[in-house]
Amino acid sequence: MNALFFGTLVLYFFAVVLQFAGTVFKKETVTRWAWRLFLAALAAHTVFLAARGVAARRLPLSNQFEFSAAFSWGISLLLLIVRTRFHGDWLTAAALPMSFLVLSYAALQPREITELMPALRSSWFAFHIGSAVFSYAAFILAGCAGVRYLSMHKKPDADELRLRQMDYMGYRLIALGFLLLTVTILTGAIWAEQAWSSFWTWDPKEVWALITWIIYAVYLHLRLRAGHSGVKMAWFAVVAVPVVLFTFAGVNTLMPGLHSYG
Amino acid sequence: MRFGILLLALIAVCSVVGSVIPQGREVAYYAQTYRAAHGVILLLGLHRVFSSWYFIALLALLCLNLTLCSLTRVRALLHCGDAVERVARLPNEARLTDAGADRLRAYMRTLRCREEALGGVTVWHKNAVGRWGTFLTHLSILLTVLLGAAALYLPTVADKTCLPGEALTMPDGAAVAVERFSIEDETGRLDYASVLRVTLPDGRESKPTRVSVNHPMSFGAYKIYQQTYGTAGSVTVTNLDTGGSDAFTLTEPAFLSADGRSGVWYEALYPGYIKDPSGNVTLITNTTGSYPDPVYQVQVASDGVYTPTLAFPGDSVRVNGLEFTFNDPVEYPGLRIKKTPTVVNALLIAAFALMTVGLYLTFFMQPVLVRQDADGYAVGGPKPEGLRMELALLLRERKEEETT
Repeated sequence: MNALFFGTLVLYFFAVVLQFAGTVFKKETVTRWAWRLFLAALAAHTVFLAARGVAARRLPLSNQFEFSAAFSWGISLLLLIVRTRFHGDWLTAAALPMSFLVLSYAALQPREITELMPALRSSWFAFHIGSAVFSYAAFILAGCAGVRYLSMHKKPDADELRLRQMDYMGYRLIALGFLLLTVTILTGAIWAEQAWSSFWTWDPKEVWALITWIIYAVYLHLRLRAGHSGVKMAWFAVVAVPVVLFTFAGVNTLMPGLHSYG
Repeated sequence: MRFGILLLALIAVCSVVGSVIPQGREVAYYAQTYRAAHGVILLLGLHRVFSSWYFIALLALLCLNLTLCSLTRVRALLHCGDAVERVARLPNEARLTDAGADRLRAYMRTLRCREEALGGVTVWHKNAVGRWGTFLTHLSILLTVLLGAAALYLPTVADKTCLPGEALTMPDGAAVAVERFSIEDETGRLDYASVLRVTLPDGRESKPTRVSVNHPMSFGAYKIYQQTYGTAGSVTVTNLDTGGSDAFTLTEPAFLSADGRSGVWYEALYPGYIKDPSGNVTLITNTTGSYPDPVYQVQVASDGVYTPTLAFPGDSVRVNGLEFTFNDPVEYPGLRIKKTPTVVNALLIAAFALMTVGLYLTFFMQPVLVRQDADGYAVGGPKPEGLRMELALLLRERKEEETT
């Protein structure tokens, strides 16, 4: 299992290196190889998560290692969907390193398989944590779309339609992340009522999920009601990413609470 | 909208403060931790942000804002008229070649849009229900805040421990009897579970019901949660002269004696111990689950002389005609007993569902409205930018294909 995990990490690493080299030196053959390596990494990643789930006899989402590994997988899966379904090949250069970095963070966490504690044995477990994985992944990819937009928009030969696509894709990813974060918060509230007797306890993780939700609600209002787009919203999507990362990792590390499961 | 964003920003700032400064501690904690700044913290109520007047005022203003947003939106929905007819009257925003027109038509069919001919133009449309998305979202957030506050403040909650075989009586006369409690299931896996029977003040009685973590029991207005657990000492005292005996369950230090001078002073029960080769015993102070090797820490008192000793289940001590037998410990549950109007919870969960539907309609079921005639096309609807971009990309790809 460890070999599979570190093999996946190495595949991502080489995919990132090739993608970087291909982008800097404008060599399409190299970036094509980067994509192939990425697909191999994603396949290995999927096998690893499935094997971990089988070994643990539960969804592999119960501690910081498993959540981080699934989060990285979520980024990769969404990247695959955006690239193949929505012609978002421009997203690869920014998103690939994020998959690698999040999986590297997972590598720093304790990896042993532990029995699911009674508080986590609930039918809400899959909905609550599964939606969180894809919500965070969508926000990270939206930040990546913002980075790509900001790196492209000043170029004299920038394709206006492509820029609009990046801008719009950033918004769509945030809309998806926002819907999923809402599902995370609401299923968490129902679960909390079942487990702790209260829908809301102002636990640090809950509070930071709410803060993240508010930040993206502001983004969506600025975009949909005030009509902002382009550079301003790209910056917004990029600046919001650290908040997502803090909600994901910072809260568990710095603010122990009811969500501290290791 | 600006006011709404300002309110959201202020709520976020308060939430950051409330998560950084530990909430609800003793005043001494803040004085010790924050030293000079603790006066400001206490003055501004930063140690109880989420129940402070200004936070509640922000939530009240947010509710007002959401009410106005909902009303504005429902009015717009009711007076929007026929969107298809409106789109049919739009001027073209881009020209189409014959091939482009075919491509557009094919694309709208792949989107499964309905095709309607109106006065010489074709209108493609779908997802009319998506117009309701933002209204439902704002309404459901309003309901969530209001019902959430009701669900938070209306219930009465009591945390109680109860030994198996005993019952708790609530202020309204309801009784909660603990029939059994176990810490581990039959496979040895941790699974705190009580079997409870509830009797309501009107005499209605529940069946024996298993309550475990994540699986509370509801009966009448009561909802009972498996919250914590404890382990108590168990000692049987036998009078050696008469042969009579009494069993005691000990949840706290106690002196078991007939004359007040001789007997056993129970101090504590430990989960286990480690014995080194020289026979010294080190007590284990905490464990998760059942105690693997329970040890009683006691003092045996004989005519006022106390002798500290350790006792294990099965051990006996004789003092002045009494025999104290240490039994296996008794495990007991800590229950959270909540009395709540159940309709509030049901309505709150309905508001959650409405919010999810509202957001889905807002983001993923936006109305598609495209007008097409022999010369060109136009995109209508409340949020046309995405479709406009998709069509522009599609038609550009078509041009590129034609060029190559």
